[in-house]
Amino acid sequence: MKILVVGFAFVLSLVAQIWVAEDPVIHVLVQFPLLVFVGYCLASGMRIQQIFMGPLLVLAVAAILFWMLPRTLDAILTEWGMFIAKFVLLPLTVGVPLALCWRHLNPVVRGFVKAQAISMLGILGFLYTHAPVRICNSYLLDDQVRLGYGFFLVVVGLSIVWTIPVFIGDRHEMEKNTPSRSVEIS
Amino acid sequence: MKYEPQAGAVKLTMLLSGTVFLLMMIFGLVLRASQGNFIELDPAIFYQILTAHGAGMVGSAALSGGAIMWYFVGKYTKLNPVIYWLFLGLFLAGVVLILGSVFIGEYGGAWTFLFPLPAISGGAWGVEAAVIFCLGYVLIGVGFLLYYLEMGYRIGKKYNGFSGALGWRYIVNGDLEKAPPPTVIAAASVIIFNSTGIIFGAIVLVASIVNLLLPEFAVDALLAKNAIYFFGHVFVNATIYMAVTAVYEIIPEYTGKPWKTSRLFAIGWALVVVFVQLVYFHHVLQDLVMPAWMLALGQIMSYASGIPLIGITTFSLCVYIKGSGMKWDLTSKLLVLSVAGWTIGSIPAVIDGMIAVNKVMHNTLWVPGHFHTYLLLGEVAMAFGFSVWLVRGKAKKTANNLLERLTFNIYALGGFGFILVFLWSGASSIPRRWAVHLEEWHFHSQIGTVFAVGVVLATAVLVMIYTAGLVRRETKK
Repeated sequence: MKILVVGFAFVLSLVAQIWVAEDPVIHVLVQFPLLVFVGYCLASGMRIQQIFMGPLLVLAVAAILFWMLPRTLDAILTEWGMFIAKFVLLPLTVGVPLALCWRHLNPVVRGFVKAQAISMLGILGFLYTHAPVRICNSYLLDDQVRLGYGFFLVVVGLSIVWTIPVFIGDRHEMEKNTPSRSVEIS
Repeated sequence: MKYEPQAGAVKLTMLLSGTVFLLMMIFGLVLRASQGNFIELDPAIFYQILTAHGAGMVGSAALSGGAIMWYFVGKYTKLNPVIYWLFLGLFLAGVVLILGSVFIGEYGGAWTFLFPLPAISGGAWGVEAAVIFCLGYVLIGVGFLLYYLEMGYRIGKKYNGFSGALGWRYIVNGDLEKAPPPTVIAAASVIIFNSTGIIFGAIVLVASIVNLLLPEFAVDALLAKNAIYFFGHVFVNATIYMAVTAVYEIIPEYTGKPWKTSRLFAIGWALVVVFVQLVYFHHVLQDLVMPAWMLALGQIMSYASGIPLIGITTFSLCVYIKGSGMKWDLTSKLLVLSVAGWTIGSIPAVIDGMIAVNKVMHNTLWVPGHFHTYLLLGEVAMAFGFSVWLVRGKAKKTANNLLERLTFNIYALGGFGFILVFLWSGASSIPRRWAVHLEEWHFHSQIGTVFAVGVVLATAVLVMIYTAGLVRRETKK
């Protein structure tokens, strides 16, 4: 089943390639997430030692930063090496590390990454809608603005998706014991 | 033995906050004295001090409010002390950047960093100073985000999600046994609206930094103003909503009646979560290009936001005190004063929240009159009430210490006098944020200065009382 899902997502990402040269929204907000999803599914269920969690998170965040650079987007569209690297490295350096470390991270760290993701996507939305020049040489100014609004939509979507579970909670995790009474470090 | 969650860190924080409160009040006194023509102050220095006063006061209010809430939430669930130290460290690092930008970089664009002012200083300060000021805020925001994530995770886990921690589940099922205590409801509410505010703040701060470094990236001025005031309004309000947990936890020691969660209490706080986020529109009532419905909402929310406060805290406090035979010592007096100040402070806000009034009043000293009531007689009084209680607990009998009685009376009298002068000046159309005042306005500022001297002296004694209590307690150990 997992292979089917991975295969289907990868095929979809290949199909999306038809439009990526003319539409940055498809490129960044459809194809990129699909490739990350492919890597995430591949590694889901695998376990690694706790000591690797931090480095894996750093690797995933650094890789996201790299692939979001406007210059990287241009290179993907003009250089064969980068074009192939996208299909290989997005799953392997973002999706796989996230799948390996995400569930085992401290909840506060997870929350921090989510909050940072929301605010940084908001900032990207601002940059792409306000830039007076084309940030990517390969895309038109109008497309760039559309991508900016796309980032804002992702912000709204992620805010909803990540906030609802916070309200619902997990009945199994509810602490049934009486209030704890000691954290003193005076 | 009295339970003291992470008391060492909290005591240190209260000492830092109290000292900064005092220093910032001295700055405020200098500003009023300058406006009253008692002293001469170069306008550039005036605006630097104004910026430091605003940022410092909001910062220390947030720091003390954060310490109070951490202390009391820690009674109900374990909190990770590492996160608190991280929060404090990031906060202090942010303060260093802000002070450096103001007093070394000569930044004087006010604590609100309203676009495009930080970028158009006319040579008064460099771009670097404005960038460092914004970075200081970012660090403080990151510290608070970590603080809220830790607290949110713990209480969310303990009360089965935020619908439990906010008391919403209790509103529906009425199961009082599983209802969270008032402190947890307040904390969960603050976590929601202030985290949202901080995320918006982060976006607009980074956008401002980009604009400062690359002016071609011009921020949409109206959007920036909305984001800044959403962040600023929510953040300032959160300081009081965090500190009010001191009232919920300490007053019962005096009245002998626990502050109970009720359906009305939980509903009131649910409304606070919504109102606090929507009321900021009253900061943009003079921006006529704003959609009309938003301005109307600003007015309605300004009216509505006082109701839960008065309904759930002020009214309850009166009921708990009535007939309780409560002993009046410095702590109880300051805490009751704080709720009174908070409540009274909402009245000028409601008046200014009316569009017709706002048109002529918003840029006058009426508004400082409002927020000084909220902070000076509200949050700061809560913080000092908590501090005194922290180092010596409830007095065994009604306190009759002359120094303490005098200190409290001067603080309250000076505070009320100080804010009344602001309101009177506002009603007389004296503008706010002006370094140089016309001769006809000097008298107002001079009276304000006299009251400010009283407040500063009383605050200095409060800081001394706290420090002495701290030293005594440590020596006993």
